[in-house]
Amino acid sequence: MTVRSLIIAVLLFGGLAATRAQSHADYLKHYSERARHIRSAFDTSTAASYYAIAARYASNNNIPLADSLFRVALREPRGDMFWMFPVIGAYLHGKDKMSPETRAVVRNAWKTYAPYRGDTENHWAMYYTTLYLAAEQWPGLPGSEWFNGKSSQENLEEAREYLIHWIRITTTIGQGEFDSPDYFPEYAISMCLLSEFAQDPLMRKRGQMMMDYFLADFGVEHLNGQYLGGFSRIYQPAVFTPLLSGASGFAYLYFGTGTEAETSAGPLPETPKARPPGESPWSGWVLLPSLSNYRPPEIVYNIATDRTTPYLHKERKRVRNVIRFGTEKNPPVYKQTYVTPEYGIGSLQGGLLQPIQQHTWSVRFTSGRPYTTIFGLHPYWSSYELGMFFPEELKPLIADVVASKGTYNNPDKWTGGSPYERTFQNRNTLLVLYDIEPGTMTEHIDGFFPGNLNERLIDSSGWIFCKAGSTYIGWYPLQEGEWLEERETPGQAKNVIGRPENLSQKQPVRNWRFRSHKLQNGYVIEVRSEREIGSFQKFVSVLRTRIPKAILTPGKVSVDYTSLSKDRMKFAFPDSRILNGKAVDLSATKLFEGPFLNAEVGSEKLTMTYKGAKRVYDFRTVTVTE
Amino acid sequence: MYAAVVATKLFVVGAANPQTGLHYQHPSGDTVWQHTGPNNIRAFGCAVHPGSQQRVLYIAAGNGLHKSSDGGATWKVTTGWNITEVLSVSPDPRDPLRVYIGTPYGVFRTTDGCATWKECSQGLGARFVSLVLASPLNDREVYCATEDGAYISKDGADTWTRMGLSVGGVRTIAQHPRNPQILAAGTEDHGIYMSTNGGRWWTRREAGVDHLTFYAVTFDPNAPDVMYAGGYVTGIYKSTDAGQSWKRMNKGLNVLTFHTLAVDPRNSQRVYAGAYWGGVYRSENGGGEWTPLGPPDSQVWTLFIHP
Repeated sequence: MTVRSLIIAVLLFGGLAATRAQSHADYLKHYSERARHIRSAFDTSTAASYYAIAARYASNNNIPLADSLFRVALREPRGDMFWMFPVIGAYLHGKDKMSPETRAVVRNAWKTYAPYRGDTENHWAMYYTTLYLAAEQWPGLPGSEWFNGKSSQENLEEAREYLIHWIRITTTIGQGEFDSPDYFPEYAISMCLLSEFAQDPLMRKRGQMMMDYFLADFGVEHLNGQYLGGFSRIYQPAVFTPLLSGASGFAYLYFGTGTEAETSAGPLPETPKARPPGESPWSGWVLLPSLSNYRPPEIVYNIATDRTTPYLHKERKRVRNVIRFGTEKNPPVYKQTYVTPEYGIGSLQGGLLQPIQQHTWSVRFTSGRPYTTIFGLHPYWSSYELGMFFPEELKPLIADVVASKGTYNNPDKWTGGSPYERTFQNRNTLLVLYDIEPGTMTEHIDGFFPGNLNERLIDSSGWIFCKAGSTYIGWYPLQEGEWLEERETPGQAKNVIGRPENLSQKQPVRNWRFRSHKLQNGYVIEVRSEREIGSFQKFVSVLRTRIPKAILTPGKVSVDYTSLSKDRMKFAFPDSRILNGKAVDLSATKLFEGPFLNAEVGSEKLTMTYKGAKRVYDFRTVTVTE
Repeated sequence: MYAAVVATKLFVVGAANPQTGLHYQHPSGDTVWQHTGPNNIRAFGCAVHPGSQQRVLYIAAGNGLHKSSDGGATWKVTTGWNITEVLSVSPDPRDPLRVYIGTPYGVFRTTDGCATWKECSQGLGARFVSLVLASPLNDREVYCATEDGAYISKDGADTWTRMGLSVGGVRTIAQHPRNPQILAAGTEDHGIYMSTNGGRWWTRREAGVDHLTFYAVTFDPNAPDVMYAGGYVTGIYKSTDAGQSWKRMNKGLNVLTFHTLAVDPRNSQRVYAGAYWGGVYRSENGGGEWTPLGPPDSQVWTLFIHP
């Protein structure tokens, strides 16, 4: 199958699956079709790619060629844990089919190539999951047969101990690298492999349960293939083109969405285009799950796709390990997301919660592909931020990070948290305040507005009114600003150097940037859909009269606003939030709370509910009850 | 001489970094580096256990504390999942089974030759430990450089007491090779400090010093009044009056940020400097002129010369 025909197939199946209610039997049937399509993009490839090799083994397609490709690929192992999981995945799919010589080459690689364990949660999930599976596969070997000098038993015990510890942390105080559209695959692949290939039934069960857990965590904040709300980590392309994220490939596989053709959106822009399975490294990662026997429970699918009733979902996560400039190792992260059939608006409380790639808030909607989002940020960077989370020396750290994430110190970047940013969300109303210290990198805030909005009205009332299909967004800047044409460079899209001075003026303007240079700043966001408020004209006329009252002096930044829903919101930077006269206590936020997912902090449990169905996960006893 | 190399080229997980890890060469004029042990591990520190005839080697690395008991022929990660990003290692000169490591999560100690590890951070105000140093002069005396100052332990890291150096971001500590009362410290943003009373009082040394962030300070083992220091875009400083005054010695340097320094104990004129990016530099005339020695494009965190 060619990539082009695959795209067409993906669009067809994605569109069908997303727009039609279906029985679980139908779901499973469509799932198999999607999985088969993904596999077909790989199992005829002659590339020495671990994905192609795994697909060939799984499909029994020319095993001698798969063997040969495997041996070629293993001549130069590289990639650390990004090497470990596809190699063990390919091996586990082919170990009973491959030649003894190939088996020996694979075994030898785990002796001679020493992968770095990494420094993030997803690295460790991949490292220890695959090390666990490898140690099970080759039991009884002494340390001299392993890259780290530890015996099979030592590796097995260490990996098992870490995985159980990590599951406990995740189900008590939340993930540190939470809700990442681009790093969701790393967790999903790891748990998928564990759920299918662990020989220990308890570990296999843990893998299944965690896979359900992550899919539910994504699913409850999912809309047409997009992850919703605020995120711990996201790469720049996916921040303004949401379907480019790795998670969207998994939404396609598991939820039947992710690349749905928006009939109302009109012709797609020339670039960038959504990446279907088989076309990129990200979507390549969906290959191993597509080969797996894992299937999500019906309730997870329903939670992820039933958008008939708007709902508010709240959850608590944790900050990545703080190693400098803090007294608490994992302070809490509070997230809430309001989800409707047409849009989702979500936010984190603000501040520095993750280095480099934090996305504090967003509105994402179903219309207007590929730029289905509006958001804002203070593009901040500092060695202080990096030093909080990375052990290397502070001053050279920025240059070290920029070497691989070129947008980090770009004043035009679209990702990252800021210590000078805070949010206050009440369902579909969001207040954002900034009190930026003079001399900070940088002294402006930015807002992203898609160029393909149906409407973008700059109203004399001070409001900016936007229409994206049947979603209406109102943005009230608390300070004046300027509109800049947003050119998108290949460099920015790929996260290499895309600095303003390098922007080609020949690049077409695709979007808009609203920039304000005032240090004491903020905005009010209101989002409604046609079904919630009626016509766009009505939205405009009703909102036009609601003018926030703000105080914007250094050290004293606040806003007082009565929302379209008639809720009085008083917000003072950094953390005084009052709703209808009552102080909002974010610390009371549970691990999950909403109509579909509920969990108490510290519980090691998760309860899923959907209509009359209920499913309780108990990670202490490693049981699921319905 | 051993060099712990954190990274080469791209500083990103998953990038090919096969030449990271532990490099060594004979300090007798050898110019070829050899690599030993696992690569790709982000090696921050290295050490040889005193008295082991270079049989027992350590690499402090992202993956944990690596140990070789056979001169580098085979290696084992001796720590588990709960110890990571090991930034420094210091074996006890008097005890072949006792080793200290410093990490962003505190100090850890083994007393059974790395079979088991125990966290020993009692008394530390901040867990981020840039460097741990077992005193070669005083039994069970250990120093550590932390995010909120310099600490001393007199009971083998069971308990820690903050020394008189109260500035934040202490990056390194060095002890005079003969007089345990004399200590030097390099800091983030606060320059070079010295103490002559075992760390109770410290004095900032500013004469001739134009920079503030120092990652490395070292004494000449044979002529301890001679000292070298280096840090963030500092080039290399030299003092010949026990740290009272300093002079920059940058001839031949192509880079200015240095993380580690070492003086050959057999030849005081031979000095090595590990660059944050740019490999190792060597001087054959006490810092008068420097020559790049490789490994190329490498971030060298620690140099260690076995006496």
